[in-house]
Amino acid sequence: MTDISPEMWAKVPAGEKAAPIPPPAPTYGQEVRRRLWANKPAVVSIVFIVLLVIAAFFGPYLSPHTYFKQDLKLANIPPFFETYAVTDGAGETTRFFLNASNFNLYEVDAEGNMLGLLRGGRKDMIKKSQPYEFGDQTLTLDYSKLPVRLLLEDGSEVRPSGWSWNRTYLFGTDQLGRDILVRQLYGAQISLTVAFVATLVNFFIGVFYGGIAGYMGGKVDAVMMRFVEIISTIPLTLYVVLLMVVFDSGLLSIIVAIGSVFWVDMARIVRGQILSLKSQDYVAAARTMGASPARILTRHLLPNSIGPIIVTLTMLIPSAIFIESFMSFIGLGVTPPLASWGSLTSEAVETLRAYPHQLFFPAAAISLTMFAFNFLGDGLRDALDPRVGR
Amino acid sequence: MTQPLLQLRDLHKHFRLPAAPFAPKPILRAVDGVDLDLMKGETLGLVGESGCGKSTLARTVIRLHEPTSGSIVFDGQEVGKAPEGLLGNFRRRVQMIFQDPYASLNPRMSVGDLIAEPLEIAGVGTPAERRKKVAGLLDRVGLPSDSAQRFAHEFSGGQRQRIGIARAIALEPDLVICDEPISALDVSVQAQVVNMLEDLQADLGLTYLFITHDLSMVRHISDRIGVMYLGKIVELASSADLYHRPSHPYTRALLSAIPVPDPEAARAVEPMQGEIPSPIDIPSGCRFRTRCPLATELCAKVEPQLTDIGGGHLAACHFAGELAQQANGVRAPLQERVQ
Repeated sequence: MTDISPEMWAKVPAGEKAAPIPPPAPTYGQEVRRRLWANKPAVVSIVFIVLLVIAAFFGPYLSPHTYFKQDLKLANIPPFFETYAVTDGAGETTRFFLNASNFNLYEVDAEGNMLGLLRGGRKDMIKKSQPYEFGDQTLTLDYSKLPVRLLLEDGSEVRPSGWSWNRTYLFGTDQLGRDILVRQLYGAQISLTVAFVATLVNFFIGVFYGGIAGYMGGKVDAVMMRFVEIISTIPLTLYVVLLMVVFDSGLLSIIVAIGSVFWVDMARIVRGQILSLKSQDYVAAARTMGASPARILTRHLLPNSIGPIIVTLTMLIPSAIFIESFMSFIGLGVTPPLASWGSLTSEAVETLRAYPHQLFFPAAAISLTMFAFNFLGDGLRDALDPRVGR
Repeated sequence: MTQPLLQLRDLHKHFRLPAAPFAPKPILRAVDGVDLDLMKGETLGLVGESGCGKSTLARTVIRLHEPTSGSIVFDGQEVGKAPEGLLGNFRRRVQMIFQDPYASLNPRMSVGDLIAEPLEIAGVGTPAERRKKVAGLLDRVGLPSDSAQRFAHEFSGGQRQRIGIARAIALEPDLVICDEPISALDVSVQAQVVNMLEDLQADLGLTYLFITHDLSMVRHISDRIGVMYLGKIVELASSADLYHRPSHPYTRALLSAIPVPDPEAARAVEPMQGEIPSPIDIPSGCRFRTRCPLATELCAKVEPQLTDIGGGHLAACHFAGELAQQANGVRAPLQERVQ
């Protein structure tokens, strides 16, 4: 049978190519990477998350501002503004912008760097106006009717000379004159720390709890899962408030609260995986070799449920971020002057009508981060599922 | 007489099925009283159709299932009721080869880790020694030595079964339970694997409990063959004797169903009627009577026991003696001879 008679051999005719030898089949890891890479939203999300982490942990060192230093003279500065230019008799030009919500003038240079608050003359409380002197020129700020106007001595209105970005405070300042960008980066640090620590705690508790419940099965499983159901019925807000009594208000109690409640999802998913995997033949094979339950769990069952575990983890991160923000928003979060996205949002809501930009940045950060983690989780789930693709 | 390596006495494995609350739970009698002696160095084939309890018997013997009652004596020691913690020696000396070479190898472990796992659990050698041993085992089962770093899914079915065999013989066991090791493989690969199993038996002095439903292959590899039906052994004889004079109507039906690779050959087919009865509701008396062409009233009342009909040939049928005599002649339609 192994002999092939000589007449069965033949040359490939000239010009014809031999059948190509197929390349070796890609491994599971390569397949996962290829499928994840083909998922554009997931790739964009990965890039966003990496940039966010780098910015959160290294960004504050590059900034001249700190999250706690207040400058009440420069409070509520927007990230961009309309500049005015006034030239006095000596030929000196002063650039400034008008904060239409608090009726202050701030001096800026041509590039948009903040130079400081301009001091005006006595306010005329009855006519609702305030004079500003620039050399021999005098401008009157008239706020008797809105929108406010800047009037020259002859009564004509000064027009803004153009738009400019705020180069000193890229995202503007809050009502205490703190740089919003730096506070936002610190907020990202706190939100990401809470998310990762809580997720890590969830991972360990959930995987082991679910693993043991699934592997033991029977009565042990029934009791352990009833306990999970009890925990999942406790309202989280109430629980955090109670924890604040024990610990102080702050990061620790939020991490403890999220870490001690959120693992139930992970436990359920791991238990389901283990239940379906433990009837596999390779588990039976390990048992016939005398492998201990711990070994079967750690070497056989958990490595084979790693896909759903990773997906659940990436889905847990955005909900942890959201819970932290929500807790900070209702005042149960980090203590001032520390900032988190939630506390930034809640501070911004107070001045929402006058300075909507203060709400925009933290809200955008929360939404984009949650989007990114959700897209990444979806992408990972599709990529790790061997039934998809091929 | 030497002591058998494995001795099963009245072994039962029953499963309680789930039922509505307060309703009596139906009991599935998968293995329902098996007596078996397995001598050192022999190969005992166990055949029977799907659902007859072969695999459950194998899994009960190796203690993947707890036996409901009866005893399992391995090398003079009762292991049927021993707690898992005291099974160390038994776990080392008895290994199993599984039916499905895809399901029985952990897809997340490299082949080297898979084969080294029994050694690791038994605490044999240092990691370096184990690697060396794995290389030797790979060579022994005819796999390239670079296989150790690769993963099971990179191999074909036959190669994967070789990995399973290498894992089973890693600890140099005395008894290997083969649970349909070849039924998931191509016919050409089946022969290779069976030949390899025979070589290993000769080299290592293994004892096989070989479970299959492939009657032509079991004849080739077995010294003795047991035929199982609904959780019980109905006939047990040396393989030559069993094929020569099948003395249970079920065995006869099975043998007549072996496909002959010759389209011209005339066959005396004795088709079996009906399906195998449910092991939840086993017929009274002889459990084969519902499908047996010879069934009489006696069969419904009295359960035939395994009795020696000469030369160590055991059969559990009231008409075993007559069938054996008749089988010495030409294979003829059964019905006429008995009437």
